[in-house]
Amino acid sequence: MATPFRVRGGRLTATWDTAEVAVVMHLLRLTRDFVAPERESTGDPFADLVAGLGGTADPEEPSDPALRRLLPPAHRTDPEQAADFRRLTEHTLRSRKAANLSTAIAALGESLPTEGDHEPDEPAQLALDTDQARALAMALTDIRLILGERLEMRTEEDSERLHEEFDKELAGEGEMDPAAVQQMAYYDFLTWIQESLTLAMLE
Amino acid sequence: MSSPSEEPQEAGQVAVLDRPEVEHPWVTIVWNDPVNLMSYVSWVFQTHFGYPRSKAEKLMMQVHEEGRAVVSTGTREKMEADTEAMHGYGLWATFQKDD
Repeated sequence: MATPFRVRGGRLTATWDTAEVAVVMHLLRLTRDFVAPERESTGDPFADLVAGLGGTADPEEPSDPALRRLLPPAHRTDPEQAADFRRLTEHTLRSRKAANLSTAIAALGESLPTEGDHEPDEPAQLALDTDQARALAMALTDIRLILGERLEMRTEEDSERLHEEFDKELAGEGEMDPAAVQQMAYYDFLTWIQESLTLAMLE
Repeated sequence: MSSPSEEPQEAGQVAVLDRPEVEHPWVTIVWNDPVNLMSYVSWVFQTHFGYPRSKAEKLMMQVHEEGRAVVSTGTREKMEADTEAMHGYGLWATFQKDD
């Protein structure tokens, strides 16, 4: 079982089962694949900037609601301004999110016990520096936003209703779709991790 | 949300239209959502804007209870940058001219 994050010697530390690390790394990788720009970076920041400014970036809102939640319209009443903003920022925003997710994935990878040199049940020891902690907190937000959208958790009322249904499910008397039960289980675990990490960062 | 009390008493159209940018700033608004944690939103406001905890928590509570809050004020360019930064953190932000 994962322990809450604590601040120790300037790092944010926690102990997780290796299976918990594996699940979170898997979800982080899926999220990175989902949000990474469709047009690959050239590796040359200036070329990327010019490509973005050239209007080749798609100013349309993403059709997938989860992607639309990660890359929301920046203007509520003026679609033209929202489209201009999207054209100028979407590619870099997606690249930044993907890079951030990579940082979080690498940080969790570092926590795993070294291959062949440990007891079978040895847990993962997380010891995040400030940048890694920040990256993980932001990455957890991206996963939770996607899961939330997939669960149609769009209002506070939706959230309350889903949690009531999930609690019934855990008590053995629910009627939830098994896929939604799985998503809620991930969602709640990630919420717990993120809350613990954020409170430790605020210390 | 309120704007500075600099509106002319007789709000003639010309006076309103001619107001220079500096007196008519743009704003960044953060909207409530059921996913983002209160602790996280407060951390974002402290981290990105450098607001003290009390101000960050007050803004976070305003987003939570009123559905939205103006989190920064300034030039259009600055508000676009703040909006993009908020999207990076996973908060839903928009920018607009203050009115």
